[in-house]
Amino acid sequence: MMWLPHDPVLSAALACATLPFLSMAVILIFTRPYQRLSCAISVGAITVCLGCALYLLITLRHAPAPVEYQWAWIVSSDMVIPFGFLLDRLSLLMLTIVAVISFLVQVYSIGYMHGDPGFSRYYAFQSLFAWAMMTMVIAPGMLQLYIFWELVGLASYLLIGYYYEKWSASQAGKKAFVMTRLGDIGFFLGIITVLLGFGDLGILHMNHAAQAGDIHPAVVTLGAILIFCGVVGKSAQFPLLTWLPDAMEGPTPVSALLHSATMVAAGVYLMSRIFPFFAASPDAMAVALIIGTITMLLASTMAFVTYDIKQVWAYSTVSQLGFMVMSLAAGGYFAGVFHLTTHAGFKALLFLCSGIFIHEYHTNDMREIGRGGGRKLTIPMICMTVGALALAGIFPFSGFFSKEAILGVLAEHPNKLFLGAGLLGAAMTAYYSFRLIFFILFPRSTAEEASHHEEAHGHGDDHGGGHHGHVFWAMAWPVMILATVTLVLGFFQNELQSYLLALEPASHGHEAVEHGGHGVGHYLLLVTAVCLAVGGVFFAYLEFGWKKATQEGFLRKFPAVETLFANRWYMDHFYRKALDLLVYCGFTNVFTRNDRRVIDGGIDGICRFTVGGGRAVSFLQSGMLQYNLVLMVAAVGVLVLVFAL
Amino acid sequence: MTAMEFAQFPILSAILFSTLLALLVILFIPDDRPKLVKQVSLGFAAVGLALSLYVYFAYDPHKGGLQFVERVLWVKSLGIYYFLAADGINVPMILLTAVVLFTGVLTMWELDKRVKEYFALTYLLVAGVYGVFMSMDLFFIFVWYDVSLFPMYPLIAIWGSTRKEYGAMKLTLYLLAGSALILPGILYLWAVAGGTTFDLFELQRLGFDVQVQRIAFVMLYLGFGILAGVWPFHTWSPVGHVAAPTAVSMIHAGVLMKLGAYGILRVGMTLCPEGLVYWADLMALLATIGIVYGAFVGLAQTDLKYVIGYSSVSHMGIVGLGLSTLTVDGINGAVFQMFSHGIMTALFFSAVGYIYDKTHTKMIPELGGLSKTMPKASAFFILAAFCGIGVPCMSSFWAELLVFISAVKTYPLRGILAVSGLVVSALFMLRVVQKTFYGEKNPKWEHIPDVPLFLASPRIILVGILIFYGLFPRLILDIIQSAVVPFVNSL
Repeated sequence: MMWLPHDPVLSAALACATLPFLSMAVILIFTRPYQRLSCAISVGAITVCLGCALYLLITLRHAPAPVEYQWAWIVSSDMVIPFGFLLDRLSLLMLTIVAVISFLVQVYSIGYMHGDPGFSRYYAFQSLFAWAMMTMVIAPGMLQLYIFWELVGLASYLLIGYYYEKWSASQAGKKAFVMTRLGDIGFFLGIITVLLGFGDLGILHMNHAAQAGDIHPAVVTLGAILIFCGVVGKSAQFPLLTWLPDAMEGPTPVSALLHSATMVAAGVYLMSRIFPFFAASPDAMAVALIIGTITMLLASTMAFVTYDIKQVWAYSTVSQLGFMVMSLAAGGYFAGVFHLTTHAGFKALLFLCSGIFIHEYHTNDMREIGRGGGRKLTIPMICMTVGALALAGIFPFSGFFSKEAILGVLAEHPNKLFLGAGLLGAAMTAYYSFRLIFFILFPRSTAEEASHHEEAHGHGDDHGGGHHGHVFWAMAWPVMILATVTLVLGFFQNELQSYLLALEPASHGHEAVEHGGHGVGHYLLLVTAVCLAVGGVFFAYLEFGWKKATQEGFLRKFPAVETLFANRWYMDHFYRKALDLLVYCGFTNVFTRNDRRVIDGGIDGICRFTVGGGRAVSFLQSGMLQYNLVLMVAAVGVLVLVFAL
Repeated sequence: MTAMEFAQFPILSAILFSTLLALLVILFIPDDRPKLVKQVSLGFAAVGLALSLYVYFAYDPHKGGLQFVERVLWVKSLGIYYFLAADGINVPMILLTAVVLFTGVLTMWELDKRVKEYFALTYLLVAGVYGVFMSMDLFFIFVWYDVSLFPMYPLIAIWGSTRKEYGAMKLTLYLLAGSALILPGILYLWAVAGGTTFDLFELQRLGFDVQVQRIAFVMLYLGFGILAGVWPFHTWSPVGHVAAPTAVSMIHAGVLMKLGAYGILRVGMTLCPEGLVYWADLMALLATIGIVYGAFVGLAQTDLKYVIGYSSVSHMGIVGLGLSTLTVDGINGAVFQMFSHGIMTALFFSAVGYIYDKTHTKMIPELGGLSKTMPKASAFFILAAFCGIGVPCMSSFWAELLVFISAVKTYPLRGILAVSGLVVSALFMLRVVQKTFYGEKNPKWEHIPDVPLFLASPRIILVGILIFYGLFPRLILDIIQSAVVPFVNSL
């Protein structure tokens, strides 16, 4: 192994891939009792990483070819699994996103987690996540990506179950781990398929070979579909989507960082990472497109009926991830990555704003936050509205641009059904996100709840005095930065596009379409999309914002549908039943009985027989001469008979 | 080869006889000085660990082959050699034994019942284990193997818990049944080869008829396989683990079960490669069943030690699967898994040991919320569980990775089934972790202090090893590979 400390690029990459790990180790081993120190170490490490990521992005933004460093991590026969860094445009963009949001969330957590007994542990896990995620993003080979992909899952498990004394939290962590593991099995088998069918797991090699047709098409299709299973698990796509809403049991900054902005986007990142490989298999792309569409629509419906503020954003995350998958699967490489970028910003913003409300009012219920006077917290209220506008796809917020880009891609797809679904999804998104905003902005208090309202109000005002403490500002600054990002990011669409696509010859074919899509059809689409989004917001206003609005929602008129949505289309019921029937009552029960009755029973039976046989035979050894004589004679008789015959 | 060959200072003999010396010294310490017994034990364990580390570092993987060879003709008429040597396969095993012994002594530091006898028997057990790992002579392998089996019965029956007589008896009967298969297997091979030598490598050079190999291999496979917990001969192991005292479980699951797998590899596969080819299908099938079956049965257990016992069945299945592929990757993975699983189970039992010592229960429903009262003690178990799930950057991940890759390549269907077992094992481990350590603080255990640094030290060492080799797997895999590549090529 050769270390090159004089190469600043390598040093920066190494820093990203080691510092957070060291920070975790130091916190867990040494500084656990000293909360402030732990926090400082972790935030310090991520700050350095952020600097390194920005440095890498700036120095390598015009690099003609990807920069790659590799060392043999393990060598077994002719198989070498490398550890290294692949620094190209996509990975550097993602690295920067991860570093920026991790940094902001860690700063925000200083306020949000203030006074929590597990403060040090929280920062250790945050460091673990930052380490795993950043090393995953710059992985040069599929196996390294898989390894850190799993570690990210571990960090997610630990952070979801952070409040481990709460049963539902540990349950949610377990569910997240097992469900993503289910998808990862497919991912792992997909990697093995590629390994056996092609023999090289280097991401660049795979992409080139798949595009050049050097890999057997069957291997590409099978590999891509299996790898897509991993995406389904990690990015909470149908049918493995129910873990993500449950994952909201974790602290809100965790939801912002892992379960909306970065970790769950890892699936989408993986798809774009090996996009040429995926694109080489039309079948895999079709599967992904269908799955993405189902996910997007399904999750949107679930967001219609919940009153839990974090759940709404969770469902919207699922549905936006489905939207990104759709884009990639329809061939829109840039649009997918662009939406990933903008989504990371505005979804983190939405969660962090919600976190301030939750921190303030100690409830997740949007109606109670509204009644408690949520709109009086002006900074988070404004920022959250900015985020919701971006999510709904309203000009000039970042979500508008990326959503338009995706719809443009879908419009080029021969099957217009997907475009219809995309437009429908956009309208639904606008509706449910503003349903939430209006609940908080225009609270209604029923007569019997009026007193409670006052009480809660007073409670809110009490806290008003503390808003200017460092706790509040630690939370407010990151939120304001993200809101600014959300405001301006959309205008950098062209820069980002030329940055990302300069080195993607494989996807030029598809992107040309995006470039040239400025015809009449494009404007028609733009107008339709905007109308739908504004219509969604307006419809939400009619039902939840307007003075005479009942705040019930049109779904109240269809109780059956409402229950269906509220129960997540009974997916969890199905999984629970399947788990009980198949695993607990099925295999576990049968195997355990087999162990006890058949295997052990058999052995114990043999033992009893042996002991019993010994007892029986021992009667013969009574020590009485007569018996012995009789036996002797009998034995001789038998022998005579045997030999005589 | 000459009759006598001493390359340098006989370091392997030094390790082996240091344990016997420890046994002797302990026997001469008066009964009323338990503290001294522990100190002497720890001292000898430290010496063994230092020597094993020396072997580990001094072994040259580039040169490969047998190193530290000691070979003396012992009984000429039968061809028995006192033949110790180290190669890439047993160097990790020797290190594993030393580590588990050292941490095991530390784990039992609070023992107060018949201390002297306990440590004496432990050293006898470990002497047998070292003997098997180091010997390259069939006769000695068998003798040391039986030496390692004998102390198990008293160790479990005297210091154990939970149906200890039943567990001890079951274990002893099973393992003796195993050695009743091994002995005729070995003698059969010896006799077919002309009855002139027990030297493993001379026998290998002589070679055997395919038919002979098939018969001998299945005897050796079943004989050693019982000790390795091969399904369906595995039920002694959870029962035995549960009944045994903490450090005996550590040595037993951590090292003794590896003897079985090691025996299959060293004796069975070396001498009867054709036999292995013939039986490999069956081996892979039994191993796969073991992997999945162990995880499922583990789901239903309510006793922490049963849980670990069944996880061992599942993990030892991975070793068997790796061996049965007959590929470099598979065997690399299998040997690596023997090492990792040894450390991991030792950690498991060591962690449970502290909890059991303090709460006097290992029933999961009675525990719960332990993380609140003893975060450090809980962390060790949780880390072991992560390792058991196959979390990357812990050493057993690499082992499983190699085994699974080669298994899917060689036996696609069984390989995929085994990989799917990962989901079940995740479910089963996390379920235990959740029920035992998470949840509300249990007022019953509130008064229990967290594990102090000295008592935590064995667990810290074990966790350190797991993570160290998880981050730098080549440090051990290159050594393993130096033996596996020529081995597979010679088949």
